Amino acid sequence: METIMYEYAAERSLTNSAHIGVAASGDLELLLEPSENRSASVKIRTTANGFEDIWKAVFDRFFARYPIAVKLEINDFGATPGVVNLRLAQAMEVLEHDN
Amino acid sequence: MTTDPEIQAARRSYIELSGRERARAVLDAGTFRELVGPFDRMESPHLPLQGIVPQSDDGVIVARGAIDGEPAIVISLESKFQGGGIGEVGGAKIAGALELTLRDRENGIPTRPVLLLETGGVRLQEGNYGLLAIAEIGAAIVALRPHVPVVSVISGMIGCYGGMSICAAGLSSRLIMTRQGRLQLNGSEVIEQEAGIAELDAADKPLIWSLTGGAQRVAAGFADVLAEDDIPEIAQAIRSAFEAGAPAENRSARVEFYRGLLAAVDPRARLTPEEFRELFRRASEGSPERNEQSPPERPESRQDRREQDEAPQSAQTARTRGRIWFERLSGREDSPAAGGVPSVLCADGELDGEAARFVSVVPNPANRFERAVRGEVGLDEGWAVAQVVREAVEDDKDSDRKRAIVAIVDVPSQAYGYREELMGIHLACAAAVDAYASARLAGHPVVALIVGNAISGAFLAHGMQASRLIAFEDDDVTVQVMSKPSAARITRRTIEQLNEAAEKVPGAAYDVRSFARLGALHELLPGIDAGSPGAEDLAAVTRSVKAAIEDARKGPRDLSSRLASEAAGAGRAASIEVRRRLADQWKG
Repeated sequence: METIMYEYAAERSLTNSAHIGVAASGDLELLLEPSENRSASVKIRTTANGFEDIWKAVFDRFFARYPIAVKLEINDFGATPGVVNLRLAQAMEVLEHDN
Repeated sequence: MTTDPEIQAARRSYIELSGRERARAVLDAGTFRELVGPFDRMESPHLPLQGIVPQSDDGVIVARGAIDGEPAIVISLESKFQGGGIGEVGGAKIAGALELTLRDRENGIPTRPVLLLETGGVRLQEGNYGLLAIAEIGAAIVALRPHVPVVSVISGMIGCYGGMSICAAGLSSRLIMTRQGRLQLNGSEVIEQEAGIAELDAADKPLIWSLTGGAQRVAAGFADVLAEDDIPEIAQAIRSAFEAGAPAENRSARVEFYRGLLAAVDPRARLTPEEFRELFRRASEGSPERNEQSPPERPESRQDRREQDEAPQSAQTARTRGRIWFERLSGREDSPAAGGVPSVLCADGELDGEAARFVSVVPNPANRFERAVRGEVGLDEGWAVAQVVREAVEDDKDSDRKRAIVAIVDVPSQAYGYREELMGIHLACAAAVDAYASARLAGHPVVALIVGNAISGAFLAHGMQASRLIAFEDDDVTVQVMSKPSAARITRRTIEQLNEAAEKVPGAAYDVRSFARLGALHELLPGIDAGSPGAEDLAAVTRSVKAAIEDARKGPRDLSSRLASEAAGAGRAASIEVRRRLADQWKG
């Protein structure tokens, strides 16, 4: 298991939370909550070691598009980048739909 | 709206729902409210220490809501996380929610309990944490059933295995299954590992479904309702189960019926699932014909072969700890067999003036079921233990002072085999759980004295429902869920890796000192010569057991003392914290 952390600057605040997915084989669980300061934090725990470059690319793009002040935690069981992006899109759907 | 029947069918599939969606689907619309949900972050403290990613709800969803307008609690297991395995946190969520349901009921609040089971049993990485939680789940279900039916669903695709097949499915008042669901104590791979491929080929999926799948389990009386994989049908089956109310007699309490059924079985025959259904049907019609061809012991030829192959001790000379301590404590050396089952010893005696019934499960190389010769809790053993414990309850029912019941625990495992699964080893173990828990609730002090092995379903059945647990502090006293080779196979780790994990996580260890750190033991008794006790050893053990009996008489009749100990404060901190949060969030 590897733990990876990132910080991003944020512009938009959040009012609600979202929980998506399951830490099942090839899948991941995401928890998104409003961050108290104007920044975003990401904490990833993953079974698949050695993919830090790919995670960074995914979140650089995600936060460039959605500069939200979110506290994001991920429990990953070897999801592919495609699955990660799908789950992130679902999470945004929940956050924006509920707002 | 689509009219395509295939798409409509797919949209109604219950099996395809996540654990959380299932809970929502069986509650009245709009009433779902989750307790100790993902943002409570009550995740497993033990998985990350072993390099395994945890999940924020630990794979158990507890939801309050309504069913037909009545308050309800739905407990749903997420099979996709760790195969629905029961760890400390998830187990505490289930047990804690059932304990609060009992509190509601005792306060006149008509909360309905529903279990949506999807689990491989104890999560092996957390071992004894899961085992303790499952015992607490069983204790809560037995306490709840006089108030309200406990309704469970096994839908698949995982099914319900291990300790949960005993303490959740086996003890439930009403059990609903789909064809895709399986109900089985021992995993097929474990049976193959322990008993060989000739006993059961774990790769033969059609055979396994025909043996333990929902259609067979309902037809053979181990479950009540066969439902299609359809959300409204399953939700309706749950509602109907509550409308029907409690069964006249809970399945796990039908001792006479199942002892009669098993007596009619020829243990040499490998009955097909269809033949067993027929046997059950005939027994249900009130004609459980005893099979006169069936000898009480295995035939000579087979026994000779076993002796040549393995040269075991004979029944009478096998001086196992379970037998030795039974004889010393009860004063009986004539092997008093419980209900005609030589591997279950039972006698009444006294401990320094305290009347007690002693029960021990011991090896019998001539056991009529070949898979239970080494002292395993098998089909006959589970039901015989249930019988003798229930007899004590019945005999003392008008007495103010209930006699103590002392379970002497030296059990290597439950019996692993084809016949065992076919004929409901999970229910035989549940019967013993039910009997001990019912005795405890009736006011009998129940003490388990762990003198040797205390493993898995066998320990759940024989020992873990005790009011107080005492263990010898001894290198040969072992408490765990599964043998190391099997645990290694299932978790795809080496024995060395298992040993490493055990150093970090006391619940994953096999030694009794690690088990003591979890706080469930009333006493860890040092300095006893377990194998050849002298007079001083006997006196010390008598004093301890008697003190535990007295302590049990003073305390509540549930298992709460296991979490109230000083050791549990540290050793099972998560179990305590989960319960605290559930209680905080219960009313909403």
